[in-house]
Amino acid sequence: MATAIQVPPVAPGLPGQTPSQDRFTSARTLKAFRASPATYGALLVVSTIFFVPFVLMVSIALSSDATSATNMFTIIPTEFNWSNFTHVFTATGLPVGRFVINSIVIATLSAVGQVLSSSLVGYAFARLRAPGKNAMFIVVLATMMIPAQITMIPQFLLFKELGWVNTFLPLIVPNFFSNAFNVFLVRQFVSRVASELDEAAQVDGLGYFGIYRRIILPMMWPILTAIGIFTLTFAWGDFMGPLIYLNQEDMMPLALGLQYMTSTSNAMQLPPWNLVLVGSIILTAPMLLIYYFGQKYLYEMNVSGGSAGVK
Amino acid sequence: MTQVLGEAVGAVRAEVPRRTRGRGTPRRKLTKRGRSEARFFWLFISPWLIGFVGFLLGPMIASIYLSLTEWDSFTPAKFVGLDNYVHALTQDPIFWKALTNTFYYALVSVPLGLAVGVWLANLLNKKVRGRKLFRTMIYLPTLVPLVATAMVFKMVLAPSGPLNDLLGVLGINGPDWLLDPTWVKPALIVLSAWGAGGATVLLLSAMNSIPREFYEAAEIDGAGPIRQFWSITFPQITPIIFFNLIMGLIGAFQIFSQVYILTSGGPDNASMTMVPLLFREAFSFYHFGYASAIAWLLFVVITGFTAIAFRTSRKWVFYETKVR
Repeated sequence: MATAIQVPPVAPGLPGQTPSQDRFTSARTLKAFRASPATYGALLVVSTIFFVPFVLMVSIALSSDATSATNMFTIIPTEFNWSNFTHVFTATGLPVGRFVINSIVIATLSAVGQVLSSSLVGYAFARLRAPGKNAMFIVVLATMMIPAQITMIPQFLLFKELGWVNTFLPLIVPNFFSNAFNVFLVRQFVSRVASELDEAAQVDGLGYFGIYRRIILPMMWPILTAIGIFTLTFAWGDFMGPLIYLNQEDMMPLALGLQYMTSTSNAMQLPPWNLVLVGSIILTAPMLLIYYFGQKYLYEMNVSGGSAGVK
Repeated sequence: MTQVLGEAVGAVRAEVPRRTRGRGTPRRKLTKRGRSEARFFWLFISPWLIGFVGFLLGPMIASIYLSLTEWDSFTPAKFVGLDNYVHALTQDPIFWKALTNTFYYALVSVPLGLAVGVWLANLLNKKVRGRKLFRTMIYLPTLVPLVATAMVFKMVLAPSGPLNDLLGVLGINGPDWLLDPTWVKPALIVLSAWGAGGATVLLLSAMNSIPREFYEAAEIDGAGPIRQFWSITFPQITPIIFFNLIMGLIGAFQIFSQVYILTSGGPDNASMTMVPLLFREAFSFYHFGYASAIAWLLFVVITGFTAIAFRTSRKWVFYETKVR
């Protein structure tokens, strides 16, 4: 041990031995990070297997009605019926166009609600002082541990009493009352922003709402974008909520409509699998786009969450 | 929602000393400005406060009461005490089947998904060409909405579907996954394994931040790659594994859409789990009281498992601060 310390571990000037944090740019790769053919083999096999369902999705979506009726699909596409992408809106006997519009309406309004409400509440928890604030914040955190199933039935009875069944309201309105996770994210984000600016604004006579509106809100957009994406993604893919509250065809969002499409056909008649899978692609595509364009904001959200865990 | 449990506990702990310190000192009277600030605080948090009372606290209390009644929402509720709980635990064979199925699913799919996730992350942590592409391919499935996943897997798991084709190549005669009581749960686990990439991405970024010096030292000491994995990489990523374990368990106990779309709980209730059972009791049979009792039993199960995971975590989760 003592000798090891006396010998300088890095001889200056030797190529490839400059201390580098990035293990991949240094000339010599440590044994632990050397990729063997087996590494490539394993990665190739796994990523191929993981990719097969996507190829199958496209293959079925492009297959003809005759192939669909016999249920004999190939993994690699052999038929290319691109017209299925228009038939899905006309040939199913269901208002699929409405499904898509309903999904967009529900997801967008949910995201708007979450962004507005959680930014306001999160700002208050980060900046304003009031007796009882810390106790309130503990309540906020505690509510994150209650599973949705506990409140599901009484909430349904409440919304039924209000006459909200078969409207979008039960899916959208709760989002305007913020949720604990988003409040937590905003609070963490705002706490980290220096408060000189809003103190200066206060001296200049701006009220609390003015500070929120003019100073804090413009600074919060990275975290609000993340919350928007998160809510949009959840509301877009949500199945259980619409299943509970919506049973009229023209009110269903796409996620529920697809399931409805597979369940309406009777035993004699198979569901139009090719069109169902076209629908699945329409359901999936926006999520891939949002991920592609929103990656950095989602990363922001993980960082702002401040947990060692998600970083 | 899901990401926070671990943080939430830490955050609560951080708040506690501040509050107890405040308790000893006499509360100062607020100035006029302070009163105005406090008023604005309550005004600004009112959306959350109203939502908390209206959509959470109120329904929770209602749920406790409902679970003690027999009620179909058409005739007046009848108070039955703990009968619903007793019925679920002692007389309802489907409840026990759903409970064991849920355990089976959660206790196999979550560790399996994590093992696959760690394995893939370790592969991607090497100096691999095309790393970004592999990472994207492995992560992509987690972006697919559950309903679309279920639709595709209905085809993947079909008796003559791609999975059985693959097994056929290996000389195995694949089962009728979704139609066979013994294979329907493994089928759901296969579906969940498709999403293992979510954990991989988190684990990979954790592996990236392990100091290179650890591996240099280990190499000088003559440790092989496997030894290095178990002595350096694994202990360093245990906090992330723990986080994923907790989140995975909570999610797995609440599995619903996949079951509902693929099997509706069948065949012969072999894939019936807690939430689909609760859903059926409430919204098909209008047993609102009994369904509420199931919800609370599910809550107890989830809380119990989370507590057990936290208990055991002291033995195997490595935190840097402990060493210092």
